[in-house]
Amino acid sequence: MIFDANKLRDEFPILAMEAHEHPLVYLDNAATTQKPQAVLDALIAYYTTSNANVHRGAHYLSDRATAQFEHARDRVARFINAPQADHVIWTQGTTDSINRVAYGLEWCLKPDDEILITSLEHHANLVPWQQLAFRTGARLRVLPLTSKGEWEPEYERYFNEHTRIFACTQVSNAIGVKTPITDMLAAAKAVNAFTLVDGAQAIAHYSVDVQALDCDFYAFSGHKMYGPTGIGVLYGKPHALEVLTPLQTGGEMVSHVTYNSTEFNVLPYRLEAGTPNIEGVIGLAAACDFLAAQDRQGMIEWEQKLARYVFDELKFNTDIEIYSPASDTTVVSLSVPGIHTLDLNSYLDSQGIAVRAGSHCAHPLMAQLGVSSTLRASFACYNTLSEARRFCDVLLEAIEILGDD
Amino acid sequence: MTEFDRDAIQARLTTCTSKEATFKELVSLSKQLERLSDADKTDEHKVKGCESAVWLIEQQDNGICTFQADSDAKLMRGVLVVILSLANGRSKAELQAMDLAAELSQFNLSSYLTSSRTNGILGILKQIQA
Repeated sequence: MIFDANKLRDEFPILAMEAHEHPLVYLDNAATTQKPQAVLDALIAYYTTSNANVHRGAHYLSDRATAQFEHARDRVARFINAPQADHVIWTQGTTDSINRVAYGLEWCLKPDDEILITSLEHHANLVPWQQLAFRTGARLRVLPLTSKGEWEPEYERYFNEHTRIFACTQVSNAIGVKTPITDMLAAAKAVNAFTLVDGAQAIAHYSVDVQALDCDFYAFSGHKMYGPTGIGVLYGKPHALEVLTPLQTGGEMVSHVTYNSTEFNVLPYRLEAGTPNIEGVIGLAAACDFLAAQDRQGMIEWEQKLARYVFDELKFNTDIEIYSPASDTTVVSLSVPGIHTLDLNSYLDSQGIAVRAGSHCAHPLMAQLGVSSTLRASFACYNTLSEARRFCDVLLEAIEILGDD
Repeated sequence: MTEFDRDAIQARLTTCTSKEATFKELVSLSKQLERLSDADKTDEHKVKGCESAVWLIEQQDNGICTFQADSDAKLMRGVLVVILSLANGRSKAELQAMDLAAELSQFNLSSYLTSSRTNGILGILKQIQA
């Protein structure tokens, strides 16, 4: 199996589009990825052959929908190497997954306890913990990772007998750097903290093995890994999922209800109130199958090669500051001092190039980098070298036009 | 105080047939904007809700409003020139009677105004009428 991005592109119908009369160059993959035909087909097939509510049995279509829905749980569990399918909880996405854990663990926090995150977090893995700290009187502490994702032995002191929860991203959304997740998880486990890994930016690129990571919780979104929007996963170890207070209660998550009491259902249903996002689940499973059928090693090498190409093309340009690492990343996040990133973004857009300008939902990290926003080009499996080259060329054009005062 | 010629600006922008052409026209227009001094770029003058920083200062002379504005983003400075060409030299009552958003939509800026900048621009228009 040899990875060929040019061939793979054909499976993504949207990539043939034009934008502002130029061929679309989609480099906003860290925000959301495009969807392969197989995922689109799965959604259509579900609605044309199987649409019914799940877990209510009693008729042909419901049985079909339920079978596909639960089979999807198996496929997603296998994709992240979860030991059992019922360790996979369906959510709306990473943000929802993290919020469910932040709410679900509220009972175990008291004043003086500490919740530890890092300085590379997306707001989704910061605000829920901060608000949890406000509610419980616990302290939110921030492990100061550098923009190179460096781990210093002295950081061990951030993990102490007060640390109840450690939540960390695997890959920074804003600058694409990997965090030293293995070392940090080991330190967190040594002090018996609950551990949560935000896998939103890792899941499309790296083979994720939740058993090897050995974290209590792993959160990710479908739409960032070629699946539909509105579906995500909260993986958890059984003991960790068992102790979560359900954020949502209602139908499907109960086994017996009286006016005076409710007996909750077993996992995974206990944490899945209401009718689930069935089409999303089926689309996400199709996305897992799509990724599992690829040469994953060839794919990540290709994506990193594209980021490396852009890094090397721009690194000696004195107008440009790059915040992403030189290697081992699929993202190039940069700024041009004196030129607003929104202006650069507008020119790139006028040439059909989609990137993201902004603070990337990471205000504290932007402050650490000393900028208010960056321009982020993020690569996916279907991007080509000529697209990477075009991004560089058009960026330099933009600097020339906008720098002239 | 620079006077902006609304008709001339509208003529220039409406001949643009691509986003690139509009981009270049806005860059060119941005150069007409008199920049504010750092001392004037106070929080009080800052318009909330804009993706880029925008400052707006209002002066009234015999009931006639004159606005000065600035932004850290160049295209926004171009858009501000357009907005000032609509707003300057009018009384508050006149401004309040105008549908500024509808006026602005005649400048062929839709590819810039439909983006997430829109809310910020509506905020500017609101402040002009306040």
